[in-house]
Amino acid sequence: MLPYLTKAVSNLFHKPSTEQFPTGDPPKAAEGYRGRLSYDPEKCVNCGMCIRVCAPQCMERTIEKLENGDQKITFTFDMTSCTFCSMCADFCARHAITLTDDYMIVGTKPEDFLVTGSFVKKAPPPKPKLTPEQIAEMKAKAEAAKKAKAEAAAKAAAAADNG
Amino acid sequence: MNELLLNLFYVLVFPGLLFCILMGVLLAGLDRVWVARMQRRVGPPLLQPWYDFLKCCGKETIVPRHAKKAVYFAAPVIGFVALMTISLFLPVVKGRAAFSGTADLVVILYLLTLVSVCMMVGASATGSPFAGVGLSREMVAMISYELPFVLVILAVSRVTLSTDAVTGLPLTFSLQAIMEYQEANGPLITHWSLIPAAIAMLFVIPCEVGMHPFDVSEAETEICEGTLAEYSGPPLAVYKLTHMVKMYIMTALFCVLFLGGLSTGILFFDVVIFILVCALLTFITMSLPHAVCARFKTEQVFKFYWTVVAGFAAVSLILVWLGL
Amino acid sequence: MFEKLIDNSMEKSPWIFHINAGSCNGCDIELVSVLTPRYDAERLGFKLTGTPRQADIVVVSGPITVQTRDRLVRTLAQVPEPRVVVSLGSCPRSGNVFKGSYAIDGPLEKYTHVDVSVGGCTPKPEAIMAALVQAAQILAEKRKEMRK
Repeated sequence: MLPYLTKAVSNLFHKPSTEQFPTGDPPKAAEGYRGRLSYDPEKCVNCGMCIRVCAPQCMERTIEKLENGDQKITFTFDMTSCTFCSMCADFCARHAITLTDDYMIVGTKPEDFLVTGSFVKKAPPPKPKLTPEQIAEMKAKAEAAKKAKAEAAAKAAAAADNG
Repeated sequence: MNELLLNLFYVLVFPGLLFCILMGVLLAGLDRVWVARMQRRVGPPLLQPWYDFLKCCGKETIVPRHAKKAVYFAAPVIGFVALMTISLFLPVVKGRAAFSGTADLVVILYLLTLVSVCMMVGASATGSPFAGVGLSREMVAMISYELPFVLVILAVSRVTLSTDAVTGLPLTFSLQAIMEYQEANGPLITHWSLIPAAIAMLFVIPCEVGMHPFDVSEAETEICEGTLAEYSGPPLAVYKLTHMVKMYIMTALFCVLFLGGLSTGILFFDVVIFILVCALLTFITMSLPHAVCARFKTEQVFKFYWTVVAGFAAVSLILVWLGL
Repeated sequence: MFEKLIDNSMEKSPWIFHINAGSCNGCDIELVSVLTPRYDAERLGFKLTGTPRQADIVVVSGPITVQTRDRLVRTLAQVPEPRVVVSLGSCPRSGNVFKGSYAIDGPLEKYTHVDVSVGGCTPKPEAIMAALVQAAQILAEKRKEMRK
């Protein structure tokens, strides 16, 4: 009891060991801290690996078809569903997902917890249209090639017979 | 007319309501700050107990379905009024009390018991099992500190050797007589035979107030605040105020019993010194054990008070009755 | 004037009651660490109470398991107005990794209005502090609305 008593009394004359947080800036998180996700849609290739490895299913992918055939792909990460395991970041081949050290995930509305990003996936270029002459030419070419092949085969067969 | 106004002043302002509340808030705030500083925390602002009280006033009161409504609301108020009444009997400054009688010490003893009893009655009126456990613990705590407390008062009442007017015995329960004796012969703590009694009284203070290591009846982690489990809103605020004022009443009682009779002659300085001594007593008896000790078990409290503390008081009592 | 005083002190003395609705104990430990000397929420008036009757801020942690659901609803009903509900960690809002389990009956929004939420698994004490401070401000606003 006595050592505690002397310690308690001596503590009266020491500065308190409290952090001054709510008045000042929030202190920096430790190195390697896994905080709020950051998602870079420029790097994303829409492979869907993150969705497959996410245990709490906190990701949502919506694919919107645009008029010109392009696809607008939106990824939404719900920070109140995330367990910050960093699995998605590890599996992301293009490093589009990283976990920042921002731990201040506080809010009153559901929108405060969403991390979203979207990018447009370009459709492949359309095939050029061919004119009837071109088609006929191509057909003729193909037929000629077929003929040549057949002749070559017949020649080879004859040579084999002779032999 | 003048006498009526003076009495009103006594009841409402100086030793009564206003002064009691101010002192209670000050001591409770100081206690919280000191405990925080001893644990190397910044601690709440000094007026934190006052904010707590005001906030409780602004909350909704939910009366439990099984509660006896009248008792539920009356118990805290009666307890508070009983406590306020004690302050009128304490000759705080210059040996003058607002009211004095031949046996004010006995009245004080009864009124202090009434405060605890009101708490128990209020708790039992709520019909909560947690409050039931709390009230049985409060009873045990009361039995524990009451014995040494009575022994201390017997020792003190004997030492003045003035004959009681009613019983004719050589002991007095009049605080006035004790103050006069101290003015003539110096404070009672300077009598070596009464030093064990003073130590016992120092131990009685935190248990009587219900401060941390002895707050078996309000153990918030085990039995959900015990006696206060079902209280919310203004009745709870009154209980919190009662708790604060009790800190002041008990420290003031110690001052009167053991440190009385000293006076600088100027009223203002007397009051300031009195407040400082009360704060010092709060630090020694309440803040230090609060910061250092974990909560006692109920039976540990009982054992501690009936052996160690009652032992101190009994030694003093025997010495005094032997005439030493 | 007395009402004004009460309004002002509402923000300065919010008492916390903590409900564990099937939490893994991680968030509970972090909540307790908010009251330790390093973070010391008591300097802002926060205090942990043992009974819902005296609470102003109810902190719920854990996905709402079927076993705790009825107790949670009963406890929330016992908290007097004005009250603020804070959800602690990812679990109460979504179920986190327990999402879809037969033993979970969340999220917390099904049973009560959640005023402030803290994300994280588990949140850092600083984040909990920030959420509690925000909750205290909401508490004062609610009191002012209640008076009108």
